[in-house]
Parts: sequence; C-alpha cells; structure tokens
Amino acid sequence: MSEFPFADPFFGLSWLDAIIRIVIVVLVMTLVVVYLTYGERKVVARFQMRLGPTRTGPIGLLQGFADAIKLLIKEDVRPRNADRWVFEFAPYLTFIPVFLVLVALPFAQDWGVRNLALGMFFVFAVLGLNIVGVLMAGLGSGNKYALLGGVRAAAQMISYEIPLVVALLAVAMVAGTLDLNAIVGMQDSRPFILIQPLAFVIFFTAMLSELHRAPFDIPVAESEIVGGYFVEYSGIRWSMFQLAEYASLWAFSIFGSAIFLGGWAFPFGEDWGWGWQLVLTLIKSLIMIMLIFWVRATLPRLRMDQLMSFCWKALIEVSFALLLVNGLFLYYDWPEPILAAVNWVGAILFLGGIYLRAARKPSTKNLVGSYKHAEVPNP
Amino acid sequence: MTTEVLWWIFAVAIVAVSAGVVFARTVIHSAIFLILSLAGVGAMYLFLTIEFIALVQFLIYGGAVTVLILLALMLTRMGIAGRPEPTTGVQAPFGALVAAGLMATLIGVAVSTAWPGDLGQNAVAVSIENIGEQLFQNFGAPFMIMAALLLVAFIGAIVIARQEDED
Repeated sequence: MSEFPFADPFFGLSWLDAIIRIVIVVLVMTLVVVYLTYGERKVVARFQMRLGPTRTGPIGLLQGFADAIKLLIKEDVRPRNADRWVFEFAPYLTFIPVFLVLVALPFAQDWGVRNLALGMFFVFAVLGLNIVGVLMAGLGSGNKYALLGGVRAAAQMISYEIPLVVALLAVAMVAGTLDLNAIVGMQDSRPFILIQPLAFVIFFTAMLSELHRAPFDIPVAESEIVGGYFVEYSGIRWSMFQLAEYASLWAFSIFGSAIFLGGWAFPFGEDWGWGWQLVLTLIKSLIMIMLIFWVRATLPRLRMDQLMSFCWKALIEVSFALLLVNGLFLYYDWPEPILAAVNWVGAILFLGGIYLRAARKPSTKNLVGSYKHAEVPNP
Repeated sequence: MTTEVLWWIFAVAIVAVSAGVVFARTVIHSAIFLILSLAGVGAMYLFLTIEFIALVQFLIYGGAVTVLILLALMLTRMGIAGRPEPTTGVQAPFGALVAAGLMATLIGVAVSTAWPGDLGQNAVAVSIENIGEQLFQNFGAPFMIMAALLLVAFIGAIVIARQEDED
C-alpha cells in the first residue's frame, strides 16, 4: 500500500470508484488528444511561417472534431493478404498500454485513478507492451513498408527503453521511492530537474524516441516508408493509432513533468488547493509537449544507423555513469548541491558533445550495416 | 470470492492461449499467443499480491517476446502473412523429448520442494525494499556473477552478429 493514499473512494465502493475515475480520465484524455492534434498543427505551422488550420470554427478550433468525424465515417479497409486477426487486434494492443499508464499518473495531490507504491515501475512495465501492438501492425498488414516500419519501431523502442528506465531510476534513487505521488510531494521546494538535469536530458531524448517523434521518427517516416507500420490502416483503426500516439504523448508529458518538473507541487512550498494543482499539472505537461513540438519543428530526422549508435554508444553509457555517480553521492551522503553541480556539468558536456558532433562535417566513412552498401558497386 | 472467480477465468484463459502457442500454424501467431500467456501469468502474480514480480513479468517478457518475434521473422522464411508454415521436421521427436523431460523436471521440483508460504502457512509479503536488500547485500556475489555472465553473452552475441569485412 502506498504512503499517500488518495481521497476516499466514491460511494465507498472500490471497484465503482475505479471505474468512475478511469472514465473521467479517459474522457479528459480524448478531449486533450483532439486539441493536441490541433495544437501540433498550429504550432508546427507557425514554426514554418504558415497559419495552420483556420477554417473550421474560430481560428480553426473545431478542426480536431471535424477530423475525428471524417475518420469515423471513412471506410475501414483490410488488405486481402493481411493476417486478419493480427491486423485487427493490433490497434487495440497499442492502445491498452496507454490506458494502463493513465491509471498510475498523479494529477493532483489526492486525485488520480490509483496511487501505486510502484508507480514509476508500473509505467515502465506497461509502456514496454506498446511494442507488441506496433510489431503486430507491421507484421499483420502484409505490406513491406509496414513490416519495415514495425521492425524499425521495435528495434528502436527496445533500445531506447534502456536509457529511459536507467535515467528515471537515477532520479528514483535520489527520491528514494518509486511512488509517483511521493516523488511529486518531495519537489515542493525544488523540482528534480534542478538536481538531475542530465537525467532529464536522457529521459527527454529517449522519450522522443519511444513516442516516435522527430528526430527519431524513422519508423513512421512518411517520406521514406510512407508512414510505417500503420500504412495499411484507414478510418477508425488508423485513428486509434493516432489516438494512442497522442495519448501516450500526453501521458508521457504528465509522467515526465511529475518526475522532473514537480507535477502538482507548487514551487517554494506554497499550496493553493487541488484545483490549482490540477492546473499546474496541465501547465507543466504542456511545457513538455511544447518542447516536443519545438524539437520536432527544428531538428532533421536521424538515419537508422545514427539512431541505433546514438542509443547504444552514447545514451546508455551516459545513463549508467549517471546511475553510478548518484549511487556514490547517496552512499557517502555527500551534499545535494554538489550532486546537482556534477549533474549540471554532465548535462552541459553531453549536450555540448552532441552539438559539436552535429555541427562538424559529416563523415561517410566507417558506416555500418546496410549503409555500407549504399555506394553504387563497380561494374 | 471475486478473486477466486477471476482466478479461474485467468487460469482457463492461460491454458487456452498456451494451447494456442503450440497449435498455431505460423510462428508469428505462436509468439503472439505466447505474450498473451505470459501476460496472463503476470495477472496471476497480481492475484497473489506480488506486484513487483507481476510488473517484472510484463516488463521483461514484453520486450523479450518482441525480440523473439523479430528472431522468428529473421530465422524463418515468412511467406505471405497468415499462410500456414511447415512446423514439423526431423527434429520433432527430439523436441517432444526435451519438452516432456523439462515438464517432468519442473513438476517434480515444484511438488517436492517445501515452499515458504505454501498452503496452510502464512503468505509472505515481499516488499521491493526487501528484494533490493536481498539482491544487493545478502546475494551480492551471485548477482554480480550473473551480471558478468549476461555481459559475456551480450558481447558474444555482438561478436557473432557483427558483419566483419572480408579484408
């Protein structure tokens, strides 16, 4: 049982209470997803000196609903050589993990669906299952592009799960608990991003990759593999993939803001009641979402070999080093400001290294895998 | 009562999907049934109130089965998706032998061992702190030996999988 239980259940019945809470969260999620698609189009359009949707409703505010209705009444096509059941169940399997994540998120101090003592671990465990749905969609479609997208997505998500989990474990070591609500409660004086910036950088990078957002969006790259694993889906099933994608974007943002930005906790130890806590949670998650959109609009897409080598040769090592440093500091009880300083130095070095790598002239030597054969062979 | 009903539903479902693993016509379907079966076992751990093991089950096997699907995809020649593949060969009787032997061993061990928290005894609540302490303090050496073993296997896999140039 958790140290910080939520408020009394509705009607005194545990199961009814759970259903009511999850229904509320899912309804809010649906609304958020509709406006996230609108928001992304608008934000990215502004980044590219365009206007984005303007026609449907005032400044295009109803665009998301119009799209949803269009998708619902579109024909649901199944290719003849698709693997029927695999194809039809794949959208649900990508969606269920996101639903499950919503169960563990703390939206306010005493409001969420359930406060789990192993909350952070639950989120990792459940998000890992997302891969299965993606791979099923890729395999079941009977389409080579979908297969490529599915396999790429699987390779990428399995690889980036490691730095993601290790970076968050480093923060959990500092916090001393896996209970998300307790982690947020600890940040009422300072958010953990101030003492664990390197963990935030690793988490954010790995999160972009887990969400298939640019610059890690090669599994769903339109210009390379015409959309990846959901290329054969249309209508309602396609919209379920989109719903899962944006819902996990939102869930990840709330999760990340709870751990690094302090979720519902006010800065400087103030507290204005649960309504403002809810607002604060949403604002902090919006900061994360805006960062994600910003990165998407700014950075070009990575190549597959760059993507894998960045994970295995840079992110994982740095995250293990972070775990080791945190362990040393916690074991010898060295003061927190020094830990924060070391982390800041690490974060600045890491980002600087990435910047220098990116700024210098690209090398075409020593490419691995299929890229080795990219040159036209001599006759 | 509710837990008992749920337990039976899950037990039947696990047996059914496990049969699916064996009788599915394509290796991909088998792998998908396998993940359902493993997830069912994870749910069983939840009924036993050992959340940590349940979550480990989801975390590890979710990724592991995905890798298994990828390997199956690479090692077997996939025709058009959903088309049955030949599943028996000369190795079939040996496979059956190994499976029967493993099953006999597992059942024998499970029945003959006196488990703590067995029927009639009090259930042991295992907290994550407890597991951590046991793993890193009391069983530190085996833990590190196992880590080294995994590292060796990992490096070996990379060396084998790496495509070296001929020159």
